[in-house]
Amino acid sequence: MAKRGLEDASTAAGTIAERLFTLLVWGAAALVVAMLLWVLGDVLVMGLSHLSWEFIVAAPEDAGRRGGIGPILVSTLLILLVALAAAVPLGLAVAVWLAEFTRRGGRFANSIRLTLDVLAGVPSIVYGLFGNAFFSLYLGLGFSLLAGGLTLACMILPVFIRTCEAGLSMVNNDWRRGALALGMSRTSAIWHILLPAAAPAIVAGLILGIGRATAETAALIFTSGYVDRMPGSLLDSGRALAVHIYDLSMNVSGGDGAAYASALILIGLIVVLNTLAQWLAERWLSRRILNS
Amino acid sequence: MMVFTCVPGPGRLQKKCLGKTYSDKNATARAGLCRAAVALLGLLLLLASQSLWAASQRLVLTGSSTVAPLALEMAKRYEQQHPGVRIDVQTGGSSRGILDARRGLADIGMVSRALQATEGDLTAYTIAMDGIGIIVHRSNSVAALTDQQIVAIYRGQIRNWREVGGADRPITVVNKAEGRSTLELFLQYFGLKNSQIRAQVIIGDNQQGIKTVAGNPGAIGYVSIGSAEYEEQRGTALRLLPMAGHSASVANVARGEFPLARQLNLVVVGQSSPLAQQFIAFAQSESVRDLISAQFFVAP
Repeated sequence: MAKRGLEDASTAAGTIAERLFTLLVWGAAALVVAMLLWVLGDVLVMGLSHLSWEFIVAAPEDAGRRGGIGPILVSTLLILLVALAAAVPLGLAVAVWLAEFTRRGGRFANSIRLTLDVLAGVPSIVYGLFGNAFFSLYLGLGFSLLAGGLTLACMILPVFIRTCEAGLSMVNNDWRRGALALGMSRTSAIWHILLPAAAPAIVAGLILGIGRATAETAALIFTSGYVDRMPGSLLDSGRALAVHIYDLSMNVSGGDGAAYASALILIGLIVVLNTLAQWLAERWLSRRILNS
Repeated sequence: MMVFTCVPGPGRLQKKCLGKTYSDKNATARAGLCRAAVALLGLLLLLASQSLWAASQRLVLTGSSTVAPLALEMAKRYEQQHPGVRIDVQTGGSSRGILDARRGLADIGMVSRALQATEGDLTAYTIAMDGIGIIVHRSNSVAALTDQQIVAIYRGQIRNWREVGGADRPITVVNKAEGRSTLELFLQYFGLKNSQIRAQVIIGDNQQGIKTVAGNPGAIGYVSIGSAEYEEQRGTALRLLPMAGHSASVANVARGEFPLARQLNLVVVGQSSPLAQQFIAFAQSESVRDLISAQFFVAP
């Protein structure tokens, strides 16, 4: 009897612990979702009243309190385009080198990995100062979309490379052996088999990079600059959306309405870009593996 | 661009791009991708080359974040009246404005204070005036502070509002970041050194100071009077305190009666270009008065 009682007690304690744990896990999930909803709700409620088609296409007036964000949206997209055009090919190449061309555990490759991990944690203002010193002053690009985009490329490269490399390393070795057995060259094995197989990781890296780049203020304020005119070329200065939001909320009295509406556009932009990146990668990379 | 050709192949679909023929099932998608890349590259080159013959008449201004929105609006109006001229306004703080003007990175620096004795190499042109007022939370019952009390609060000698006749609540001292001219002006007026100040919060731009104080019932800070007055009228939870018996208002700054006021200056090093001179003359003229008051400053 005594033994039976002990067993009952232990199962009861087990049930309580089980329930507590379940509650904790659900609570944590609910908390995170609630925080996200709060932020989105706040931006929606405060920004929607200010939002209109006119706001999206018009040029800002009165330091951004009136008018719209047309030129700023164009500048943001151009900066992002430069950043991705520079970071994606370079990043993929480095990731392929790290995953396919180096020995596992080699000292040089490991030191590169460590460097990348350290660089990924460097605050963006440091990239901003570097970009200002190197691209704007040393290379003479001045305050320009090009300087801003290249600075962002430097900033998103470490995370992008490491994510792509992780994706490539996850590909089953059987695929590599299979490619060898078929007499495929290393290049075509990478191009036709390994990169498509790592597509989900590449998309994840791309999405992380786009998110970080679109939301960046500190790295851009001293590289792409503050000018809110429609850019005529990549060597013109142009204000990024995040810089505009920062300026409206921290430096311009009465700019809050426009700041919220701009934030709403920024969130929408990130959602659209991420969906686009996912769709493109799926279409391009996974079809290759099915059809070729 | 002769690279975009589409040749119907013998039996199979063939697409060409950059001399390479795509003839598998995916020809359309892959050739399309290749074309998109070529088009993108072309666009980038086009955009980059345009600026080679643009911008013959160009001015760059950098400096004070307080002056930047005003200078930007002035620049827009000047550009409208003088087609072909481009004026790029950048921000970053008064120290940066002086540094960039000296290094030649900027044609004109923006500085939101009077020049100091060590800055004799620069020439300043005042385009507007701005007062700096002490702000507290709206719920704070303290009606006024003497200069000595403000000094004691900022030096950390008075740490509770009770000691200056207010509620029993700890004081949160909000100070400006190094390199901000508001800070320099504040220190100079009260005879303080920045190292003596015991601040709980360090802020950058004006609006950040307003938001910090409006969100903290125990806070005290100092910001541009124009913005604070505007926010107070809109119902933001803050109150401007009078200083040495003068109420902190734009009207008092305009009359020259408010003790803590500053110049908003455009500065140049040595002989400036004719365009820079014309723009400075425009910024000091009657035709931008409405822009100055729209940014809550006072015409000089």
